[in-house]
Amino acid sequence: MTSCRLRDVRRLAGVLAAAVALGGCSMMLPQTTALQDHRPAQLPDRVALDGVPFVPQDENLCGPAALKMAMASADTEVMLGDLKREVFVPGRQGSLQAEMLAAPRRHGLVSYQLAPRLEDVLREVSTGTPVIVLQDYGVWPVKVWHYAVVVGYDYPKHEVVLNSGLKQGMRMPIAVLEYLWKQSDYWAMVAVPPQRIPATAHEAAYVDAVAALEKAGGLKPARIAYQTALDRWPDDLKATVGLANAAYELGDLAQAEAVLRPAVERHPDSAILLNNLAQVLSDLKRDPEALKVIDRAAALGGDFSDAVQQTRRHIVARMQSAATAVKN
Amino acid sequence: MKSNLMRIVGRLLILTMLALPFQTVQAGMIGTDQIAASGGAAMQRANLLGTMSRPDVASQLQSLGVDPASAKARVDAMTDAEVQSLAGKLGALPAGADSSGWGWAILIALVIWAWYSYR
Repeated sequence: MTSCRLRDVRRLAGVLAAAVALGGCSMMLPQTTALQDHRPAQLPDRVALDGVPFVPQDENLCGPAALKMAMASADTEVMLGDLKREVFVPGRQGSLQAEMLAAPRRHGLVSYQLAPRLEDVLREVSTGTPVIVLQDYGVWPVKVWHYAVVVGYDYPKHEVVLNSGLKQGMRMPIAVLEYLWKQSDYWAMVAVPPQRIPATAHEAAYVDAVAALEKAGGLKPARIAYQTALDRWPDDLKATVGLANAAYELGDLAQAEAVLRPAVERHPDSAILLNNLAQVLSDLKRDPEALKVIDRAAALGGDFSDAVQQTRRHIVARMQSAATAVKN
Repeated sequence: MKSNLMRIVGRLLILTMLALPFQTVQAGMIGTDQIAASGGAAMQRANLLGTMSRPDVASQLQSLGVDPASAKARVDAMTDAEVQSLAGKLGALPAGADSSGWGWAILIALVIWAWYSYR
């Protein structure tokens, strides 16, 4: 274990770091200062997410344990062994951030990386979502990375409550959390069911998170999540395309058409929507209609004109073979 | 004989063309991720690099002890940007693990906290 061999180095480093720390605290912990000076609006005083089940970690398995806690609170039960297979890297004896984000998608959840803000963590917790944070318990130059789950806070006492390692409901001053957390550039994530948008989510980032779920093969949950996004942001182009694509992939051409029809009027400049509507209509054996739509797309030109031309040729070919079939 | 060889080579060429993962022009539905891709050259480049890096990242995971089938499934669940963030850096990026031997960081943090509380 590196923590033993490097004890002396760390002791020295610790003293140095403490000296630096005392010299410039408000610079070192800018978010704690800001949070103390300015109370975020409409943030409840204290929150405890008692519903989050505690999963003590086995050695080096804080990643899978943190995921299991976050996913269980999103009503998704996964075996710890499965999560280990999905995120643990034996050669590193740990779990990487990208894989922590990827794993919940394999179980139909939307992974959302939070903005690097303390306030956002508290907001997520206050709306019932536990937050996974990546902390560094090491002292320069040694890094000891660790995932913990924020499951509560007490604003008047300036404390957060963590499920971390073997400790359930560990109380930690917010300043300490920030000190340990900022080494990861304030990395934090949540995993939410597709029916629910995280409280601090932004439109584009959330829709990207859903697109990641779609790409990972979670077509059914992605379809729900795109619909959730469109209920909140009806004009979002990417969510519209995504919803229609997910429906199409699932063989629901009727829904794909129902989504794209009004969308092409809402976004008349989108060649993607027109192209995809034409493809859906053609698959519904309504090629003459499809041809009209694809001609509208062709008239727009732009980045996708090659793909549009290809779709057009495809439709024309289908019409010709249909005409030949009728003749014979 | 020669024409047979030509046919095989031709088929191979067609197969490799089809297998090119970053082929953007294809008949049918335009994918959801194409919207971001047209958002800017930098994004497009990252996506392209991410797509190309998938086999690399999977084999790097394998070399770190992940079994082949799991490695592929794990990479498949990532976005292009996530794959790109890992490519060539699996040995160096933060890997969250245990929190043993965390006394010093906590001690320093507590000192800072004390300073905060009394300022």
